[in-house]
Amino acid sequence: MVSQTVNIHQALRHLTNNQATAEVNGKTVGECLAELVERFPGIRPKLFGKNGKLLNYVDIYVNAESSYPEELAKPVNHGDKLSITLMIAGG
Amino acid sequence: MLTVDELERYDRQIMLREIGKEGQEKLKRARVFIAGAGGLGSPAAIYLTAAGIGNMRIVDHDKVELSNLNRQVLHWDEDRGRSKADSAANKLTMLNPDVEIEAIQETITEANLAHLLAGFDLIVDAMDNLPTRYLLNKAALEHNIPFFHGAIYGFEGRVMTIIPHKTACLRCVYRGVIPEEKFPVIGVTPAVIGSIQATEVIKYVLGIGELLTNKLLNYDALSMEFTQFTVKKDPHCEHCGHATGEE
Repeated sequence: MVSQTVNIHQALRHLTNNQATAEVNGKTVGECLAELVERFPGIRPKLFGKNGKLLNYVDIYVNAESSYPEELAKPVNHGDKLSITLMIAGG
Repeated sequence: MLTVDELERYDRQIMLREIGKEGQEKLKRARVFIAGAGGLGSPAAIYLTAAGIGNMRIVDHDKVELSNLNRQVLHWDEDRGRSKADSAANKLTMLNPDVEIEAIQETITEANLAHLLAGFDLIVDAMDNLPTRYLLNKAALEHNIPFFHGAIYGFEGRVMTIIPHKTACLRCVYRGVIPEEKFPVIGVTPAVIGSIQATEVIKYVLGIGELLTNKLLNYDALSMEFTQFTVKKDPHCEHCGHATGEE
């Protein structure tokens, strides 16, 4: 079984029982995030719009590389590390 | 040519083989535009002034408020109500009177940006909102000026260096906008990020080290982790997508 680790952004951890990471199983970024959302439903509106697309201030990195564009379709392998980051703009 | 006082002031950094007298003269010749004299602009400007950047223009439309003083270390209690640009220029001149510092109290807009940037070699993005950051990014590309981005939120910060038409630009990485809001922050976060932006400027001017190009540095103060995310030039980027150059 393939498995990946998702690093969860600090600002979202209150929605994942304060877990900084979660183990998921998927063949694509979209499948990994679907499992994360299934386990922590409160995180869905922070990641996805009503159209099911990633919100434009959410970025997903796989092994520290940007998965843009077509993030959700990007294939992942066993042991990959996914990072969920949120756009920030404070100064 | 460095003066006797300058040789003494910068003695410890001239000792560095990466700098030397030649590098110090490069720093003296540099002209840096700093957009914002707040949380990021303060440490960035302080360290660039201390390092001997020859000429800086600082633009900020705001006045100093009490709630700024937990992080905007160029402004002191006595400055409340004063223009941030003036307050910043005053402190920086006291730190290093050899640096020519110009303070401009204006809002950066699409209409005035080309005029504000005229004559400057580098842009430090120390703004607090994405729309103005995008304006700066676009102007940097149009005028071929290296752009040093920084941003913070709470205990987290990001840094990215953009070499126009060669590396990924801010718009390649950030594609949307987020609502302007009063953001939480503790002063040590912009202290770290602004200092890294200044470090990138110094490295660029001297032509040393590796820049944070095609990389987004993420700083998480709570876990004390620095992560470099690899980013790519977006061929469809609405700011640089038609530019040619290295990927």
